Amino acid sequence: MTALLEVSGISVTFDGFRAINNLSFSIGPAELRAIIGPNGAGKTTFMDIVTGKTRPDAGNVLWGERSVSLLKLSEAQIARIGVGRKFQRPTVFEDQSVTDNLIMALRAPRSPWAVLGWRARPVDMARVADLAAEVGLADALPRKAGELSHGQKQWLEIGMLLAQEPQLLLVDEPAAGMTLAEREHTTRLLVDLAKTRAVVVVEHDMEFVRRLNCKVTVLHEGAVLAEGSLDHVTRDQRVIDVYLGRSER
Amino acid sequence: MRALVAALVAAFLMLVPSALCAQSAAEILLENRALVEKPSRQTIGPVIAALAASGDARAADILAGWANKGLGLRKSDGAFFLIAATADGYALTALDGSDAGTAAKAEITELRPNSGVRGLISLALVQFRLTDPDPARRAEALATIARDPAPELLAPLRASLDDEADPALAAQKDRLNRLLTLRFDPDSAARVAAIDSFSGDLGLDLRAALNPLLATVRKAAPLITPIDGNIARDLTPGDDLTEVEAYDLLVAANLAPARLSRADLKAALVANIVDGRVAGTPVADLNTQAARNAAYTALEAAGIVPLAATDEEVTQASASHRFVEVYTEPDPKVTTAAARALKAIETKLALMQAADLGLDALSLASIYFLAAIGLAITFGVMRVINMAHGEFIMLGAYTGYVVQLFIPNYTLSLIVAPPLAFAVTFAAGVAMERLVIRHLYKRPLETLLATFGISIALQQLAKTVFGTQARPLTAPAWLDGALSVNDVVQVSYIRIAIFVLALIFLAVFLFIMKRTRLGLEVRAVQQNPSMAASMGINPDRINMLTFGLGSGIAGIAGIAIGLFAKVTSELGSDYIVQSFMTVVVGGVGNIWGTLAGAAMIGGLQKGIEFLNPSNTLAAQTYMILFIILFIQFRPRGIIALKGRAAGD
Amino acid sequence: MSRSFFLRNPSVLVFLLVLALFTLGVTLMSEAYGTALISTSFVKTLGKTLCLCLAALAMDLIWGYAGILSLGHMAFFALGGYMIGMWLMYARTEEIVVAALANEPLPATAQEIQNGIAGQIFGVVGASELPPVWLFAHSLPLQLMLVVVVPGVLALVFGWLAFRSRVTGVYLSILTQAMTLALALYLFQNDSGLRGNNGLSGLQNIPGLDGVSQAAVSVWFLWASAVALGLAYLTLAWVVSGKFGSVIRAIRDDEARVRFLGYLVEGYKLFVFTLTAIIAAIAGALYYPQAGIINPAELAPIASIYLAVWVAIGGRRRFRWGFTPSTGWIGGWFCWACRLWRSRCLRPRALAGCSIWCRACAGPTARGHRLAPMMAR
Repeated sequence: MTALLEVSGISVTFDGFRAINNLSFSIGPAELRAIIGPNGAGKTTFMDIVTGKTRPDAGNVLWGERSVSLLKLSEAQIARIGVGRKFQRPTVFEDQSVTDNLIMALRAPRSPWAVLGWRARPVDMARVADLAAEVGLADALPRKAGELSHGQKQWLEIGMLLAQEPQLLLVDEPAAGMTLAEREHTTRLLVDLAKTRAVVVVEHDMEFVRRLNCKVTVLHEGAVLAEGSLDHVTRDQRVIDVYLGRSER
Repeated sequence: MRALVAALVAAFLMLVPSALCAQSAAEILLENRALVEKPSRQTIGPVIAALAASGDARAADILAGWANKGLGLRKSDGAFFLIAATADGYALTALDGSDAGTAAKAEITELRPNSGVRGLISLALVQFRLTDPDPARRAEALATIARDPAPELLAPLRASLDDEADPALAAQKDRLNRLLTLRFDPDSAARVAAIDSFSGDLGLDLRAALNPLLATVRKAAPLITPIDGNIARDLTPGDDLTEVEAYDLLVAANLAPARLSRADLKAALVANIVDGRVAGTPVADLNTQAARNAAYTALEAAGIVPLAATDEEVTQASASHRFVEVYTEPDPKVTTAAARALKAIETKLALMQAADLGLDALSLASIYFLAAIGLAITFGVMRVINMAHGEFIMLGAYTGYVVQLFIPNYTLSLIVAPPLAFAVTFAAGVAMERLVIRHLYKRPLETLLATFGISIALQQLAKTVFGTQARPLTAPAWLDGALSVNDVVQVSYIRIAIFVLALIFLAVFLFIMKRTRLGLEVRAVQQNPSMAASMGINPDRINMLTFGLGSGIAGIAGIAIGLFAKVTSELGSDYIVQSFMTVVVGGVGNIWGTLAGAAMIGGLQKGIEFLNPSNTLAAQTYMILFIILFIQFRPRGIIALKGRAAGD
Repeated sequence: MSRSFFLRNPSVLVFLLVLALFTLGVTLMSEAYGTALISTSFVKTLGKTLCLCLAALAMDLIWGYAGILSLGHMAFFALGGYMIGMWLMYARTEEIVVAALANEPLPATAQEIQNGIAGQIFGVVGASELPPVWLFAHSLPLQLMLVVVVPGVLALVFGWLAFRSRVTGVYLSILTQAMTLALALYLFQNDSGLRGNNGLSGLQNIPGLDGVSQAAVSVWFLWASAVALGLAYLTLAWVVSGKFGSVIRAIRDDEARVRFLGYLVEGYKLFVFTLTAIIAAIAGALYYPQAGIINPAELAPIASIYLAVWVAIGGRRRFRWGFTPSTGWIGGWFCWACRLWRSRCLRPRALAGCSIWCRACAGPTARGHRLAPMMAR
């Protein structure tokens, strides 16, 4: 199986602090993966590197069958070739309606000229309605995003991610601040998505990770500590020491 | 003019002795009474020369008196007296020095030579003064010679050399002697020796003496004729001088006919309009230069107008002539030595100028640092854009001015003013923070506009209170003058004081931020206001104090800037953009960055001014362009915070 | 432009109607075409006000919608004025020079005319040759093209440099201010080729219109300004009503998030910056023939800040609902008031200072999205 994303030997240093230390990681085209690790393990920095927000000091990030290096691309270019990212805190455009938010995310040419001439066709509006239904916001389409509840904003952001139709989804703590029912919905959605594309979930919540029922990568001090099923890694003594040992004390 | 007078005096110095030597000063005056009564610069030369050469011991006094309205003519008998004004007339002294009683005002005609004549007299007096017993008079005489060197001064100067007792004056005389020698001595070996004796010297006077030796004129001559004179170099038309200049030289030397200017051509055509035609061409068709040239050629062919040089002839003429630069100084040995000496001076001078430029840049950097340090606190620490910062600088400067109104002693007022300026601007800053900025935290763009509005209002206030004209902020006398290393490298004491002040500010800032409770709390609030608040720090109070501190420092900087710039209501706005640039270029939130930014901007501005000295406006334009480009490469400034702390 | 656009944005039609009625009203009261109720100079003031509205519209797009507080748009405005001013001055001087040379016995050559024009225009700064920047000044179409091209290219280059290095927020504002200052300082030099601090003058005399009175010309320019304003309003309302407007507002609110959606933020900013610079330049090109004179003081940084203040007072990002024109009206009124009062004192400047911070303090709370209470009514 060729990997969709191949991260090899990246390191990054902030003012002498090694946030990522010789990290290697790879994920296939249709795979669900959870990344766990204590605070400061480098989870968010890892995502920053893949999405182009942070440049590593060393190492390589290769994408797709043609092994394109992501390090030379800007954030926007990386997003366009099919990497979607959901942030820890829901970031939607609160001043604009749910429809506008979704339309902006829809897969379409992104250059200023193309956008200037872009007008919604019926098929686009149908797609927006579908997405809104999928994330349970069908009734909220004309509302301003700023008026939505926290959970609804999370959903809207996931909806926007889906609208982008990415090949790789990076999801940062999707379940934070959700009710139990919403969590279950989220789990189902992520598992469903992973059938057609790669999904990387960064999560703190062990229960949620267990429900995802997928391969788990444990990060510690910027490097991979262990990898395998959740049961496998939770039995690993080093993992227990650095992470579980502390959190379940 | 001076040369003419010098030549006159010299001529008569040589002529006069045989004829008039034996005469006393009084006799000379009497003999030339008509001339002395109504002297003119053109005619009085021989008389003054005769007086100077008479050998009469009183000649110097008489000349000095004459120059200073101290010589009078008794109307009754036409006798000359040295006169001194008293309450009701003059006290008279006869020319031989004996007392001649008094006279009423009406009896005496006071001689009032015009300035030209006075100049001649004082030139003649120099030789007496050189040997005057009073050292001050001798020094004065030397200064006169140095100001107006003339060939005839060489002999008296040399004569006075041996008798000089004062070592400082002796050295001065020796130097002056050599300077005069290299210019005026008839013996070229002596001149070369004099030039060589100065090796390593950088004095302005030396350069002023050497430069005229190397003055050149351009000459042209046919290739075959040798050019006499001390040739400096050959000129190639096209490279060293333009074709037009070359041809103009030929015309000036009568080696070629004058070129026909377009205006002359036109005039010639106009003069030859016959029945609406010129040489057969209708006037209406003469609306291009080519048509006019053709018409003129036709007129030439008809012999109606004189031949004029065509372009080909011009090229040919300049090709068949040699163009040279000739030294006005005929002696090649002297010019070679002078050129060599000047070259050595120039090399050394360039180094010195670089050093001077460095010092200039340093003092400008200290000024920018002073202006920017308050901004570094409010902008760098609090992230508040204060466009009124410049007006706080202005406020400080005006405070200094007001203090000087009440305390006339400049030293004392300079001690009182800074704390007062700090207090005033601190209060203004706190008031502004409370009234405006507090409501605008987290809205930087609105802060920018609001503080800009305040800056306009403050400027207007200053205009209303102090008027539009510049107000003086005078430095005490001990800050006047400059520390001068040599003629090139000089630093005024005010600039040194500002440099020291900048260092003090840096130290104080570092001390407050790193060593005091206030600094700790400021840094805490800067990094995490809510956390700081939960630890018992009142962020409101800290913000207020920080802002006040930044403004207060601006006030003190205002006094420093006011000392060398004039205090106007626009004082602040002259510095605000540079101050912001300093902070932004240096890197926000770091005092060392501000220092680096100030050094860079100061150095850059001086560098650009050096490369393009005629145009300070252009220098500022280029500097701003450079900064815009610089930000491309280091968007966060020279010293940037890195990593997550830098924020996004 | 479909019907649905107007149905969705009825305020656009309202605005266009008001603008048309206003222009018509002024025409009917003007000296040239109506009851002479309004003096010619006041017609000019109203025309200039329309131009300022146009500039304010551009400012509103870049600041209110894209969140870029540019303190350089009055520089583009003035550059536009300089470009048209060059043709006006050149062509006018050419008429004078040709008339003067017509009395000579020989017909003038092109070179003589050129020299005459250069002497007339540049005698004041001690030069006698036309600088290279005047290369196209003889041709109206070329110079009209430069009205758009010169500020456009400047905005493009400056914007590319600034946005590429991700200078944002107040840094960008200060940078644009520095650009304006640099440009102003450059133009203040006598050898800048644009007559230094003398600027260009006599622009109110339109070449070739000797027979037409200033009263008529003022009404023509009023109409031209109104048409430009109407067209720009229509265009911008259309631009911001669609997805483009969505994207630039999103950039204003969260630039990084827009990047992760795959939009090249820099490209959008550059597009808006250049577009608004060109609109400002066109406004300037219409303004200065009505003002009659332009000099480097016109593009001092303060002018751009006033522009921002008008927009702030009028309420940003509101032209979809027809509020921005109020911005322009206030600005224009302000400019007019300044002119009236300038002879007496500089009081308006202090007033401006106060009004800025009153507005800023009373203004929108969260991110500047809500109208100030006083403007809501």
